[in-house]
Amino acid sequence: MVVEYAYAIPLFPLASFVIALLAAHFAPDALPKGGALPGIVAMGGSLALSAWVALAVAGGATYDTTLYTWVGGADLSFTFGVLVDPLSAMMALIVSLVAFLVFIFSLGYMNDEGETGLPRYYAGLSLFSFSMLAFVVADNLLMAFMFFELVGLCSWLLIGFHFREDGPPSAAKKAFLVTRFGDYFFLVGVVAVFVTFGTGQFAGAESFPALAEAVLAEEPATTYFGMGAQTWFSILGLLVLGGVVGKSAQFPLHTWLPDAMEGPTPVSALIHAATMVAAGVYLVARMYGFYLLSPTALAIIALVGGFTALFAASMGVVKQELKQVLAYSTISQYGYMMLALGTGGYVAAVFHLTTHAIFKALLFLGAGSVIIAMHHNENMWDMGGLKEKMPITYWTFLSGSLALAGIVPFAGFWSKDEVLYEALIHGFGSAGGLAPVYLLAYAMGLLAVFFTGFYTFRMVYLTFHGDARSDTARDPEPVRWNVKGPLAVLGIGAATVGLINMKPVAELTGAHIDFLHKWLLGPEEGGWPALTSTGLHHYEVLMKDVAGIQSAYPLGETPTLLVSALVSLSLAVGGVLVARSLYGGPDPVEHTDRLGGMKTVLMHNYYQDEYQVWLAQGVTVPLARAADKFDQGVVDGVVNGISSVSLFTGSRFRRIQSGIVTNYAALMTLSLVLLLVVFVVFGGVVN
Amino acid sequence: MAVPMEYYLLLSAAVFCIGVFGVLTRRNALLFLMSVELMLNAANINLVAFSWHHGNLTGQLFSLFTMALAAAEVAVGIGIVLVLYRNFEDVDVTKATTMEW
Repeated sequence: MVVEYAYAIPLFPLASFVIALLAAHFAPDALPKGGALPGIVAMGGSLALSAWVALAVAGGATYDTTLYTWVGGADLSFTFGVLVDPLSAMMALIVSLVAFLVFIFSLGYMNDEGETGLPRYYAGLSLFSFSMLAFVVADNLLMAFMFFELVGLCSWLLIGFHFREDGPPSAAKKAFLVTRFGDYFFLVGVVAVFVTFGTGQFAGAESFPALAEAVLAEEPATTYFGMGAQTWFSILGLLVLGGVVGKSAQFPLHTWLPDAMEGPTPVSALIHAATMVAAGVYLVARMYGFYLLSPTALAIIALVGGFTALFAASMGVVKQELKQVLAYSTISQYGYMMLALGTGGYVAAVFHLTTHAIFKALLFLGAGSVIIAMHHNENMWDMGGLKEKMPITYWTFLSGSLALAGIVPFAGFWSKDEVLYEALIHGFGSAGGLAPVYLLAYAMGLLAVFFTGFYTFRMVYLTFHGDARSDTARDPEPVRWNVKGPLAVLGIGAATVGLINMKPVAELTGAHIDFLHKWLLGPEEGGWPALTSTGLHHYEVLMKDVAGIQSAYPLGETPTLLVSALVSLSLAVGGVLVARSLYGGPDPVEHTDRLGGMKTVLMHNYYQDEYQVWLAQGVTVPLARAADKFDQGVVDGVVNGISSVSLFTGSRFRRIQSGIVTNYAALMTLSLVLLLVVFVVFGGVVN
Repeated sequence: MAVPMEYYLLLSAAVFCIGVFGVLTRRNALLFLMSVELMLNAANINLVAFSWHHGNLTGQLFSLFTMALAAAEVAVGIGIVLVLYRNFEDVDVTKATTMEW
């Protein structure tokens, strides 16, 4: 069975990492294309294998095995293993596809541009792909955490690739520190999960979601540290969520992502589409059975997601650099995924993760192509009129932009619509406090659709339409097949990948074409959902019974679906039209001044960086200084005091060592006499 | 007529005190050795006196051991005195003070 070889999926890029590293050290000239070829071959292998595994999974196969026991014990053991179920098989396929295309694109972006340090670049890229793929197939929380961290390390290596310049090292440090801040909570969460359940397994009857579910059903209720089980599980879920918020760049830990644009553009494509940022959302989907046990955690996820979607979209509106716009769009789109996960839209979230991976990789590679053409000038106000000069880039970029804006029938429309639809019906149907939270998150997500349409097409119009506004835009550098090839593949993907789950069409025609839904649902009885307990059926039961998420259709089922789709589509089209009227002319001018004071706020990203720097410098540094004083003064003072007292007494006492035998004899005699006197006084018994 | 026990003990104490006095006041290493011998012999007197008093031979046996020990001690002591002289060209114990702090 091919699924038993799933562990080899991450091993291919690991091999190319080792090759790039060793060859760069021992035989730099022997390495073809600076390490690109081994990387491409390895990612091709991963892609083929993950496609094969996905086919096997489509045939009903799953695989959940511990491969290596790192620390074994009676109560607790730390293991490495592989979990292949529809979710991980699909994610592995996406990651290896995007990574494969990014490797090819790098030939054009790095090799053809005469960059130095290519083996380091390709080694980093391979390690990045390895860690993400290993994270995807991880079968327990500890292994997931370790590769989650490795992904963070790789992002640091690659964002800071041009380490001799000023910007990239600082951006790399920021990305590392901000995500580490979130990962700190994740680590505490991992430990807490292991302490609570004694296992970190994701799937099966002995997994921690399954154990947690059993605990909730117990009578009498179990308590942890005086808290109810559900409260404690909420805390665990929120701790793990800390890592998710950091990696998936959700408010308030999103600040690293725009700065990470300092890295080479193919790296940005990889980070945003398939690896680093996707890791957070994927983790929530992976342990969704656990989050469904805690309505509080779900509400927070939904709220954070909805808010981030709107918040980031509003900042994307005023940016002047191509990659900055894309960066904020990424934050915003991952907000949608969190919104979907929080509102119980598991399929919608996975769907949006898939479509976003394709169209965001496309947009970044397209931006990379533009950047090559513009001699690494990223300011959109220096571009314009590139449409005629680079048609392939234009049409593929347009495909990605339509998908991002959510225009029918491109990928993003179907997935974003489903995200919003799920939020809406669950907002109407859910009990208690969830309903207003979901509706609020839905409203923010809906508003963000308009902004998304606007900033996306502002970007398209400024970059490709109108007249050229600089000499480089008039005579752009041509790009080669290695840039156009990946763009074409992804361009077609962005147009068509939405077809895997066209829910409105399925609802209207009655045809069963919601393939992704079926893919995640599995067979009704038995099959893989019974083995892994990660099937959609199980999640739906949990949603109803534990989380209290219900669906309600204010207008009846089909009309609600159509109205929801129509509202989000018209908002997106509205955004596009506004962008067209403002920036569509041959010689567009800036309109940002009309925003007045808002412009300054948006340009400064709502002063998020400023307040975080203030938190670091104004709060953390004085606190650390005080702690340091305490440590140096009190803790070290006591220790030093004890040692100086003994030093002093020692220096006095050693004076009796005169070296004169007579003195010693006298001391002995006197001591003996003293002892005798004591004996006499106390009558020979000393108590 | 038997000598009373107290006389032996007094003699022993006197000899011992002379020995202690010698150790504390003399500077010559040889006199040191002699004073140590005096103290050992004071102990021997005690042992023999009690042995006689209790009609038990164990004490006398012990005094034989002590004498053998004293002989060995003198042999070592004389050796030390010789080395002392070789190193410091003197047998004055107050001059050999290199082992001080």
